[in-house]
Parts: sequence; structure tokens; C-alpha cells
Amino acid sequence: MWKNINGSAVFAGGKEAFEDAAQTALRCPLFRPDSEEEWTAEEARSCYNCRYRRWTKESFQCVKGGCP
Amino acid sequence: MKLYICIDDTDNYDSIGTGELLETMMQEAALRGLGKCGFTVRYQLLIHEDIPYTSHNSSMCCEAETEDRAALTAFCADYLRENAAEGSDPGLCVLTADDRLDYAPLIAFGKRAQTEVLTKAQAYAAAEAFGSEVHLSEHGGTGGGVIGALAGAALRAGKEEGRIKGKLQPPAGKPEWTTAEFAAFYGVERFADEDGNDLTGPLTLTFVYPTKLIYQRGMVTAVLLHENGRWLLKPKLKKKK
Repeated sequence: MWKNINGSAVFAGGKEAFEDAAQTALRCPLFRPDSEEEWTAEEARSCYNCRYRRWTKESFQCVKGGCP
Repeated sequence: MKLYICIDDTDNYDSIGTGELLETMMQEAALRGLGKCGFTVRYQLLIHEDIPYTSHNSSMCCEAETEDRAALTAFCADYLRENAAEGSDPGLCVLTADDRLDYAPLIAFGKRAQTEVLTKAQAYAAAEAFGSEVHLSEHGGTGGGVIGALAGAALRAGKEEGRIKGKLQPPAGKPEWTTAEFAAFYGVERFADEDGNDLTGPLTLTFVYPTKLIYQRGMVTAVLLHENGRWLLKPKLKKKK
């Protein structure tokens, strides 16, 4: 689910793994929704809509180190 | 006088977002009689490892009406200084909104900010070349937010496509609307299909899902999907960033 790139936890599914991003967020105790205008997934609880994701060119980095 | 007010890089992971800060700033300005503000448009700028954005590198721009440009600008500058999040690098742009102005050089800068890594020096140079119709200032940290602030204001002035902040919630008990009544009620200026083509004829649309509007061709635009023989307000978010 997570790749370690230069010490950062980067989501392995890229930007369109909506099911995986939703399932990962369901398990994550640190999930916090971002402002709604920044949501990109239909599921409210999704790593793609989380305040702690930082978009990269190919995917996003979890600034909390990835879901445990 | 009408102005575009755009801010960028005002948040951190624990603060409110830049769009919300812009809205609260303009609400405060209105309470002080400094000006009124319309809807906010979000512009996506380049995602790149050399750009120190918090999470998505977007800037937020609204159009304001004021009788005292200097006072409103000073208020916004003070507000950002006092309310931007710790560790952020806020920038403010205030640009005259007047269709008689030739925004082409600024629009070019805005479009470059969507595809290239730019510097503060380039932002200040673009603003200076445009002259006194634009104000650009930094209010903490590195002040790198001036790049996105100028880009966002320029893109708004150029009527470039962006997302309008906020979401429309379907009212209970009224799933069907004519385009005319929907436009009048929600301030929509244009209807388009998913490919951006105008939908000009009178249509009946179905509004049953929370929906976002976009800013396209300088107009508040509702995007409609044609599904199973009916026009549906686009309920789905874009799948790609």
C-alpha cells in the first residue's frame, strides 16, 4: 500500500485507486477530511480527501507516515 | 471598483484551508464596510517536488467590490499577517477587475504557474510590468505565496477554468428543475456537457446529488450528464487531478 521514497510514505496506488484509498482511510486512526473543495474522491472517507495527503506528480505522500 | 483578490500558501496541516481563510477574511472586510465579495474560484497550480506547497498547490481567488481599494488592500494584508498559519508563506494579490485591461501578460504568467516552477522574482517582475493595477505582497515565512496569488488572480482575470468553492445541496422534494429556474435560483450563468459544450436549449434537469459548480469561460457553469434519457447535474468528482 505504501512505498518508502526518500523517507516518505507514498501511496502505491497512484491517483486513481479509489477503492484502496477508501479502504485505507477506513482503517486509519489519523484520517482527517480536507476542505471539501479539495476532495477528489466520491467517498468522503478516503486518503484522497485527507488533510494529511500531499499530492505528488504520480500519487500522494502521507505526511503522517502512512496508515499503520 | 471591482477587484480580484487572491491569496496562496496560508495554511499548514492543522489549520483551516486557504479558501476558508479567504472567505473569513472577506466576511470581516464586509463587516467593516470595506467591500463585498462574490464566490471563490480555486485554481490548480503545478504539483512539483521543488514547490513547497502544503498539500495541493492551489490558490483561491474571489471578486470583490469596494469603494476604497487602499483600505481593503491594507486590511487584507494585516489579516493575512495575523491569521495565516504558522509555518506558511502567505502571499496576497489584489488586481483590478476591468475587462478593458489587457491581462495577456499576467495570464501568461498564470498559465506558466500551472506547468512550470516559477520564482518570487518572476512574480514580482510580472506584477511590476503590469503596473499600478496590481498589488502583490508577502506576509510571513518565505513569502513564496506571492507566486500562486498572482497566478490565481491572473487566471481569474483571464476567465480560465477553475472550481468554484462550495457545493450545492439538493433540496428535499424537488428533484426536477428547468434550466431557467435552476439558473435563477443558484446564480448559474451557463450549462455545459461533460466535454464543455454549451447546452443552450431549455432542458429539464435532475438534481438529486450534492453538486459542484465550475468557473468556465468566465461564467458560473453547471455541468450536466446525459444518462438514461435525462439530464443529471454532474454528481461525480473528476477522477484525475
